[in-house]
Amino acid sequence: MISYLRRQASIYGAIAASVPKRFLAFEIWFWVGLVLGAIEMMILVFFWRAVYGQTATLGGLSLDQTLTYILLAQVFAALADQDLIWEFGYNLREGLIAHMLLRPVGFQTNYYVQALASLATRMIMQLPMALLATAAFGLRWPTDLAAWGAFLVSALLGYTALFFFHWILACLTFYTTEVWGLGVLVYGLTRFFSGGLMPLAIMPVWLRTLVLAIPFAQSLAIPLNFLSGITPVAEAPATWLFQLAWVIGLGVVSQLFFRVAVRKVTVQGG
Amino acid sequence: MPAIEVENLRKVFYISKKDPGLAGAVKALFRPRFDEKVAVDGISLRVEPGEMVGYIGVNGAGKSTTIKMLTGVLVPTGGTVRVLGRDPHRDRVANARDVGVVFGQRSQMWWDLALVESLNLIAKIYEIPAARYRELLDEFAATLELNELLSVPIRNMSLGQKMRAELAATLIHEPKVVYLDEPTIGLDLIVKERIRDFIKEQNRTRGTTVILTTHDLGDIEELCQRVIIIDAGHIIFDGPISTIKDRFGKYREITFEVAAGAARLELPAGADVIAAEPRTLALRFDRTQTTASQVAAAVMSQVDVRDFSLAEPDLSAIVKQIYNGALQEEAAA
Repeated sequence: MISYLRRQASIYGAIAASVPKRFLAFEIWFWVGLVLGAIEMMILVFFWRAVYGQTATLGGLSLDQTLTYILLAQVFAALADQDLIWEFGYNLREGLIAHMLLRPVGFQTNYYVQALASLATRMIMQLPMALLATAAFGLRWPTDLAAWGAFLVSALLGYTALFFFHWILACLTFYTTEVWGLGVLVYGLTRFFSGGLMPLAIMPVWLRTLVLAIPFAQSLAIPLNFLSGITPVAEAPATWLFQLAWVIGLGVVSQLFFRVAVRKVTVQGG
Repeated sequence: MPAIEVENLRKVFYISKKDPGLAGAVKALFRPRFDEKVAVDGISLRVEPGEMVGYIGVNGAGKSTTIKMLTGVLVPTGGTVRVLGRDPHRDRVANARDVGVVFGQRSQMWWDLALVESLNLIAKIYEIPAARYRELLDEFAATLELNELLSVPIRNMSLGQKMRAELAATLIHEPKVVYLDEPTIGLDLIVKERIRDFIKEQNRTRGTTVILTTHDLGDIEELCQRVIIIDAGHIIFDGPISTIKDRFGKYREITFEVAAGAARLELPAGADVIAAEPRTLALRFDRTQTTASQVAAAVMSQVDVRDFSLAEPDLSAIVKQIYNGALQEEAAA
């Protein structure tokens, strides 16, 4: 068993290690991403300052609380990033799915490990954004270690749940082979419903109920609520259990979806 | 146990059918229609370990679909496939350890990584012991002349370089069965030759079973003893190349280098002059009516011959005849 685990760790460790190398192959995108991220951060800060110009609190949150949340959401935006739909679409269109299926590794595990490595890489690449948020917009980082612990566990569970959810949607590309519309739709929904643009507390009750009934917010808003002090750390175990239920449920469904969808693979041409 | 065993294999694709224009697209939303396309229709074959088999046919004949079912990428609509005793789709991971695939137009390597990084990653994924990997890397780098390419990202390689790298990536885990789908497509003669030599060497030293699909019959002649021809999803010929040449290579060519041309030649029945130049005379003869020695003797008795050469039947001409229905004509006769 230990030997098996060691072998698996070696295989998936190598796969994970290849991800940052691929990310860094195109330096220009790193700089472009930083500039765009900085512009977006600036727009959001000015927007929320303008909104709070009319009121002292919104959804029970002060301007400081909202700005802390928004800046943290910008720094940790990678938690809501999933490329599965585009990747599946590209690999199917180019016929590369054939090579993916011919690797002696778990198909979903392979993608999951790459998603985690990609998250870690993006987090590191966001360091300049963290500096900008601190230096230019006065982000005060939480000092409570328990809040960081609650955030990290919640982020991992939420990211995994979102991965499985995107996996289910990505399996649709085996049937449609066209991903543009689906990709854009899911990107938009994820941006809004993950809570990257506004804290859930500010949303009307009916919208918040809807957002909590779908998995997008699990990866960003729910973990960030611990870090920004909106959710007390004492509620962490209950939150984790709820997220774990999402992970297990979506994990099982995603495997079933894949098992059926992969039988529909067509790789055109020679 | 055969390396590959296929029984009554069938694959049907359902292709969406739309009327032209916007109205057609809208109509298809509410009433989708599909055309049934039978790509592979009940083929059976058996390949023994260490065999090199050419699998050929015109575009759309079903070659690549068969290969994709053999690799486990496509699920057959009917029939069975066993590769090294396994169902390649159901036992995907175990099967993947023992097979290697080159899809001529698609790379299995990581586009942005240097070749050596891709190979290192493949070595990890296939759990190749470090010492063995170093040995193989040295051997492949020497045979395929990859030393200068190891640090080059795949996206920066030429077609020929990419294919050499692709072969290294396919064979570095020493697979027992290798599928080569158009491995020499678009390559120049020198690269082609290097690749053919490499494949031959792998087969000779490691007993690798090779299934080769190609439109380049030079590859087949150079590498395979057996050829399977598929047409419209059916196998129409499966046997040694020599048999196909004997059955369909009715005409052969003989070329003479002569001191001076002759005005008119008396030739045995079935022999004709196909080109006459001042110093060269090319003849074609039907070997069911006469023999090479009879033709040569006839010419030498009339013309001062300095040298002559006999060409083997041309496989591409034969295959062209078969694609054009020579088998059906033979069966009808």
